[in-house]
Amino acid sequence: MIQVRGLVCDPPAGRALLEGLDLDVSRGGTLLVTGTSGSGKSRLLKLLAGTERPRGGEVRIAGVAVWPGEGALALLGQVRMGFAFAAGGLLSNLSLEDNVAMPLRFLGLPKPEVKQRTLDALERLGLASVSRLRPHAVSGAARKHTNLARVLALEPELVLLDEPLEGLDAADRAVALALIEDWAADSRCTLVLAVEESSGFHELEVQRLDLHPLPWPAEAP
Amino acid sequence: MMAFLARLGAPVRGFLEFLGDQAHLVLRTLRAGLALRSGQLAVVGGQTSLQIRFTGLDAGLLVVGTALLLGAVTLIQAFSQLSGLGAENYIGTLMVLIILRELGPLLTAVLVIGRSATAISAELGAMQLNGEVDALAAHGVNPYQYLLLPRWLGVLISVFALVVFFDAAALAGGFLVARLKYGVTWGFFMGSVRQALSNLDFTATLLKVFFFSGAITFHACHFGLRVQRSQTEIPQAVTRTVVSALVAVFVIDGLVAAVFYF
Repeated sequence: MIQVRGLVCDPPAGRALLEGLDLDVSRGGTLLVTGTSGSGKSRLLKLLAGTERPRGGEVRIAGVAVWPGEGALALLGQVRMGFAFAAGGLLSNLSLEDNVAMPLRFLGLPKPEVKQRTLDALERLGLASVSRLRPHAVSGAARKHTNLARVLALEPELVLLDEPLEGLDAADRAVALALIEDWAADSRCTLVLAVEESSGFHELEVQRLDLHPLPWPAEAP
Repeated sequence: MMAFLARLGAPVRGFLEFLGDQAHLVLRTLRAGLALRSGQLAVVGGQTSLQIRFTGLDAGLLVVGTALLLGAVTLIQAFSQLSGLGAENYIGTLMVLIILRELGPLLTAVLVIGRSATAISAELGAMQLNGEVDALAAHGVNPYQYLLLPRWLGVLISVFALVVFFDAAALAGGFLVARLKYGVTWGFFMGSVRQALSNLDFTATLLKVFFFSGAITFHACHFGLRVQRSQTEIPQAVTRTVVSALVAVFVIDGLVAAVFYF
């Protein structure tokens, strides 16, 4: 499902994060990306999603060339992907319900199906009571869960989750973790998780990738 | 010498890159528009109607008020300077030359740049910072279809409607002055305007509306979507949008005038 060859990326600060990364994740597989803050986990997810351009290397998702190529635009209509961001990512002028429903509407699904899938996803993440509110009016945990609900409603082939448990209390963590375990167990769904602490995911059968921050380039004398 | 040439070449290269980026945005948006599926029309239509509301409907009063005053002031000044030369016989020519041909489309574009291009640029910049544009693309929503196409269509329809209302209100303002000052009748006034108008004026105005709306939208989208790292980039993007779109609109206006009337 995911093929990465010789991936190199530069962050804005000028320090290389990934140097010549090779990676293969089979369809239905789960990849757990760990590493300290600043090691490039989020950036790797964005490179896989095609929302950020690498300095070099190749990324293919389900055989579709993402890089070099058009990035996420190359995957439109080819691969159904869901990405739960660590922060942000929700359209601020739409309610939580509309945020979840919008990708489904754009897929051209019938209205009743869009409504049902949206309600089911919001219900499962415990967001039914705040579904009419906009992202700025709800807690950080609710925003995080809305990101997950949007992915859930989309029923994607590829799920990318960036720090899905960060900042959640025990009850919210349990809800999110149950959902992640379902995705990991689903043979139609390829899951990539980026987390700083892998402690919550010991029970998952996963392929692991540990990223380490590369040293800053030496300054010229 | 090389450093001097490099200093000369840098802005030229920057300008050419900007033109290339604009062409890329336009072509991608056109392609995205042609690739729209029937199920997506409702989403794009909803976004377009929102843009029409913000750019067209909400600006209606401002545009009509400005045009009414401009039409009146134009004829007051014309009569004050040309009263001994039979200015009342040139009412139609004056209105068509000054308002309908030039100031109508131009001032409408300036007002739309001030109200809507700034808003589009700031909104897209904030969306970029919040990861909303990335989120759209990552969830199968083509940003060209969801963000750019509705804004272009909305601005195009709004600018067309606002120019029509601007011209109508300016004529009304001019007629009020002509009526109060010289007792000119509505029939004489409109007959004079009709006589001065030609099909060329309609064609030139339509072309201006099309190119102005494209320039306004794509300048705003270009600078808004270039915001990458910090909130301080948003006001800079807005300022660049205003300056750049104003220059583009004046250049287009000059080119159309040269092609049609020179």
